[in-house]
Amino acid sequence: MATATATASRLAVLAPRPLLPAPGRRRHVPAPGCGHSRPRGLYAAPRGRVICLAAPAPAAPSTTDAGQDRLQKVPISNIRNFCIIAHIDHGKSTLADKLLELTGTVQKREMKEQFLDNMDLERERGITIKLQAARMRYVMNNKPYCLNLIDTPGHVDFSYEVSRSLAACEGALLVVDASQGVEAQTLANVYLALENNLEVIPVLNKIDLPGAEPDRVAQEIEEIIGLDCRDAIRCSAKEGIGITEILDALVTKIPPPKDTAKDPLRALIFDSYYDPYRGVIVYFRVIDGSMKKGDKICFMANGKEYVADEIGVLSPNQMQVDELYAGEVGYLSASIRSVADARVGDTITHYSKKADHALPGYSQATPMVFCGLFPIDADQFEELREALEKLQLNDAALKFEPESSSAMGFGFRCGFLGLLHMEIVQERLEREYNLNLIITAPSVVYRVNCADGETVECSNPSLLPEPGKRRSIEEPYVKIEMLTPKDYIGSIMELAQDRRGEFKEMNFITESRAKLIYELPLAEMVGDFFDQLKSRSKGYASMEYSLIGYRESQLVKLDIQINGDPVEALSTIVHRDKACIGTKVIASEALSAIRKDVLSKCYGGDITRKKKLLKKQAEGKKRMKAIGRVDVPQEAFMAVLKLEKEVL
Amino acid sequence: MLRLAFPLVSHLPRRKPASVRPRPPPARRYASSSSATTASFSPPPSPLLPPLPPASAYVHLPFCRKRCHYCDFPIVALGSSSASSHGGGEAAEDPRIVDYVRLLLREVSATRPVSDDGVPLETVFFGGGTPSLVPPRLVATVLDALRDRFGLSACPEVSIEMDPGTFDAARLRELVGVGVNRVSLGVQAFQEDLLRACGRAHGLKEVYEAVGIVTACEGLQNWSMDLISSLPNQTEEMWEESLRCTVDARPTHVSVYDLQIEQGTKFGQMYAPGVFPLPSDIESANFYKIASKRLSEAGYNHYEISSYCKPGYECKHNLTYWQNRPFYAFGLGSASYINGVRYSRPRRTKEYAEWVQKLEDGTWSHESRSSDMKDMALDVVMLSLRTAWGLDLQSFSKSFGKSLTLSLCNTFKPFVESGLVIAMDMDRRALPHVDFELDLQNEDDFGRRVAFIRLSDPDGFLLSNELISLAFGIISP
Repeated sequence: MATATATASRLAVLAPRPLLPAPGRRRHVPAPGCGHSRPRGLYAAPRGRVICLAAPAPAAPSTTDAGQDRLQKVPISNIRNFCIIAHIDHGKSTLADKLLELTGTVQKREMKEQFLDNMDLERERGITIKLQAARMRYVMNNKPYCLNLIDTPGHVDFSYEVSRSLAACEGALLVVDASQGVEAQTLANVYLALENNLEVIPVLNKIDLPGAEPDRVAQEIEEIIGLDCRDAIRCSAKEGIGITEILDALVTKIPPPKDTAKDPLRALIFDSYYDPYRGVIVYFRVIDGSMKKGDKICFMANGKEYVADEIGVLSPNQMQVDELYAGEVGYLSASIRSVADARVGDTITHYSKKADHALPGYSQATPMVFCGLFPIDADQFEELREALEKLQLNDAALKFEPESSSAMGFGFRCGFLGLLHMEIVQERLEREYNLNLIITAPSVVYRVNCADGETVECSNPSLLPEPGKRRSIEEPYVKIEMLTPKDYIGSIMELAQDRRGEFKEMNFITESRAKLIYELPLAEMVGDFFDQLKSRSKGYASMEYSLIGYRESQLVKLDIQINGDPVEALSTIVHRDKACIGTKVIASEALSAIRKDVLSKCYGGDITRKKKLLKKQAEGKKRMKAIGRVDVPQEAFMAVLKLEKEVL
Repeated sequence: MLRLAFPLVSHLPRRKPASVRPRPPPARRYASSSSATTASFSPPPSPLLPPLPPASAYVHLPFCRKRCHYCDFPIVALGSSSASSHGGGEAAEDPRIVDYVRLLLREVSATRPVSDDGVPLETVFFGGGTPSLVPPRLVATVLDALRDRFGLSACPEVSIEMDPGTFDAARLRELVGVGVNRVSLGVQAFQEDLLRACGRAHGLKEVYEAVGIVTACEGLQNWSMDLISSLPNQTEEMWEESLRCTVDARPTHVSVYDLQIEQGTKFGQMYAPGVFPLPSDIESANFYKIASKRLSEAGYNHYEISSYCKPGYECKHNLTYWQNRPFYAFGLGSASYINGVRYSRPRRTKEYAEWVQKLEDGTWSHESRSSDMKDMALDVVMLSLRTAWGLDLQSFSKSFGKSLTLSLCNTFKPFVESGLVIAMDMDRRALPHVDFELDLQNEDDFGRRVAFIRLSDPDGFLLSNELISLAFGIISP
C-alpha cells in the first residue's frame, strides 16, 4: 500500500494528474516522448482523479509516527489554517513537502519522488504548483495542533480563486527566495492576504545558496510590503533548515478560527474539480456550524440542493470522516454534475437550517479574453463541441458559443479568464483531444455606445456595429505593475509605450530593482506582452495586472483580406493610430514573417540541413486550412495576427 | 564563414600542438547521406543526375582566431595568441594547421576519382573557418594534391575565403601565385559596433585595408564581398550604408546572408529571432528587399537567393551546388556529393582523423547507392528554385514524370497569379499568368509555351521556404 499512498499523495500535492496507471506501477522516470506531452498541474485541469476513494489511514496499521493520528479532532483553538504565498521557483512546493514530511503527514520514504517534473508550461508562465490542501498534526508543548495548508493558484488570471483561498485562511507564509527578492505576483497575493486580514509570516528561503542575501531581501520585504521582518524565518526547505521554526510560528502567530460551531452552517468553497466517477468534488472550509456525512446541503448562490454522500479531509489524500466543524477544512462529494454548480466562492449551508447570509466575496466568473476556435478539419466541429463541454464540466470560467465564418467554417467563440487560461484550454484541446485548431487573435470585450443611446458589449470584432451606428467605443484598461532589474527599465518602458501604455509611476524598490506602473488597454496585453516582457528582461522581470475599468478609445475595426477576400474571423479591433485607414496590402509582409531560414547559407554545398527544415515545413502544411484560393498555414495566420503589433 | 582575426602578431609564444594521429577505425559509422528508401514512382534515367564525374572540389580549412558569436560551423579556434602570421615566415606556421593539412592531403590521396577518363576539376573552393589563416605554401600543397589526383582544367576557378586582418598584400600575392584567382572577403558589416557585436575582432580599419589589398592585387579580378543582414541592433540606415560601401568597393560578386540564430551559439543564447535587438521578421525582409534593390541598381544580377554578381561573374563553384551537380569535398565536417550520395564528414578533428584512417584502410567507401527518386526531385526543386534561372520544366518532366510536373505547376498557379512565381518560355520571357494557366489546362500540350518557373525577386525569394516546402508537399505527400 505504501506505493499507492505515495502515488496518491503525490497526486494530491500536485493536483491535476490526468489519468494515471494503476497505483503502484507508476514510472519513476517518464518514458521518452511522453514526458512533456501535457500540461499538468494546471488550474483548469481535472484534479487528481485517482485520489484514494476510501481513506486507508484511520485503520491502517502503518506506523506510529507523529502525524498518523491527524484525523483526531482538536479544539477549535488548536486549529491553524494557512496558505503559502510564493513566486514560482521560490521553493513553495519544496517547503510544503518538508512540512508534510516533518509532521509525518507523508512518510519520508513516500517523498522520494521529485514531483516538480513536467511543469514546463507553469514554469514558462510563472504559475505556481498547485497543492489543494493538506491537514497536518503538529505537537507543540505537548499540545496537538491541526494545521491546514490551503493552496492558492499563483497566477493573476485566477486572482478571484486566490482571494477565495485566502478567505479560507487566517494566516499565510510569505516565502521569498533569499537570493532573488520579491516578485510582482507575490506582491499582489500578499496584498490580497493583508486585505483579508491574514497574519503574514515572512520566510526567507534558500539561505543555503551561495548567492543568498537574506538581509537585503528582508529589507526589500520591509520596504515594499511594509511587513516587519525582524522575526523573518530563515530557512532552506531543500536542506530542511528552519522547518520547525516555521511550524512553531504557524502555531504561535496565526490566530485560531472563531468558535462558531453552534451557528448555522456556512462553508466556503475554495476549489472544486470534476471526477468522472463521483461527480464534482468540492473543497471547502467550514466557517460556521458543522457538517455531517449524509446532511442535506444547499449551495446558496444557485439554490441547488444535494446530499453530502461523502465528507472528509485532505491529508493530503482524501480521508473520510463523519463530521467537520467550524475551522476545519475538507471535501465533499454529492453527485454534483458540473463544477459550475459548485462555484468557487459559493457558500454551503444546511437545507433545513439555512444561514441568513451567504459569505461575502462571491462573484460570477467573467471572461475577460475571447477568441475564436475553429477546427482545421471541418469534420472535427462536433468533436470540438464535445471536448469543450467536457472541459467546461471542470472549468466554470470557460464560456463558449458557436460561431461561423464564411472563410473559416464552423467553430466557437470562447471566453476565458485571461491569457493563461486561454492557453491552457487551447493546449488541452490540442493535446488531450487531438484537435487541430485555428485560433483567431484574442480580443477583449468592448463596450460600444450606439447612436441610439444603447450600449452593446462586443467581444467579436466581426460583430462590431457599423461605424455609422456607433457613437464611441470603450475598451477595458488594466493597471499593470512590473518589477524589473534596473538594466531593463528602458526596454520595458519602450514596450509599455508601444502598447499604448500610460506611464503612472516608477519607484526603485531597492538600488537595483524598480517597480514600473502603467495603465494600458487590456487588448494590448493579450497577445505577446508577457513573452515580450520576459524576453526583453532576459526573464528577470515579473508582472501583475488588475482591471481598472473601461475607457473610451479611438478604436477602429481592421479587416484583413487574403487575396482580396475579407476573412471576418481575422478582423481585429485596433487603435486608430495603429491602423492605416483604407487599404494597405499587408498580405505579402505577413507572409514574409515566415521567411525564417530562407536565406540560410547552404554552406560548402551542405544542403541536408536545409532540406530537413523544408521537409519539416512541408509536414507542417498538413495543418493547412484553405482560405479563399490560397492555402494559408497556421503560421501565416499567426503572422497575420501579429501584424497589428508589428506592421501597423 | 567564420572570419575573425586580429591584426597578426608573430612573436607570441606558440601553443602546444594538438597532435592528430591516426587512430584505429572506430566501431561507429558516419554514414549520414540521403538514404535509399523505396521510391514510389518509377525512376526513369535522368540527364540531371549522376553519374557525372564531379568537376568541383570543396576544401574545408577550419581555422579561426576564435568563434564568431553566430557561428556553428565546424571550426578549430586557434586563439589570438597563435603564431601564424601574414608575413609568410616559414617559422610561423602553426603546427595544428600543418597537421591538419597533412590529414587533408591523406584524404585527397585516399579518395578514388569517380571516373578514370580524367575529367579535371573546374572549380576548387577553400572555405572555412578562415582559410586565409592557412599559409599559402600549405594551400599550394593541397592544390598540388588535387591536381595530381583529379587533374585541374586549364583555367579552373580557385576561390578562397579571406577575413580582413588576416592577410597582407604579400600573402595575397603568394596565394595568387599558387593559383588562387577568386577571393571571398568576409566583411559582414561596415559598422564598427556591429562588427564588435558579432564577435569579429577585426574593425572597420582592417576592412578597408583588406579591400584595398584585394583591389590592388594584380592577377585578381574576381572577388566577392560577403555581408550579413539582420544583425543585432542593425538599422535600415546601417544596412543602406553597408550596401553603399560595398558598391563603392566594386567587387565582382556580393553575397548577402541573413543572420540565422543557431542553437548552441552565443547569439542563440542571447537572442530570439525576430525579437529586439534583432530586427523583426518584417524588418529583416525589408533588409533583403533593400539589398536586392540597391545591388540591382548598381548593375549586379541577383542570380541566387543570397548571391549577386556582375554579368559573367557567377561563382562557378556555387553553381555546382545549385545545379545539383556532383562535387568532391575534403576536410573536417565537409559535405560531398558523389555518385548520387551526399555525405557529411565528422565535425570533430579526432573523429575526422579516424575516418580518414578508415578511408585509407579501405574500410569506408563512397558507395554508390540507388538514390531515391523522390529525394532527387526534392533536391532539384529546392536547389533550382534558389536561382534566378529557375526550374527547367522539360528536364524535370523527363526525369520525374509529367504528372508530377503538372501537379507542381498547378500548386504554384495562385502564386504565378500573385506574382511570387514567374513562368517563362523557352526564351526566358515571362509569361502572363493567363498563358500559364491555359498551358496547364491542356495537359497533352503542356510545355508548349511554359519552359521554366522561378521565384520572383525579391518577393518570391523571400518566401522561398514557403513555396519550396509547398512543392515538397506535392513531391512527397
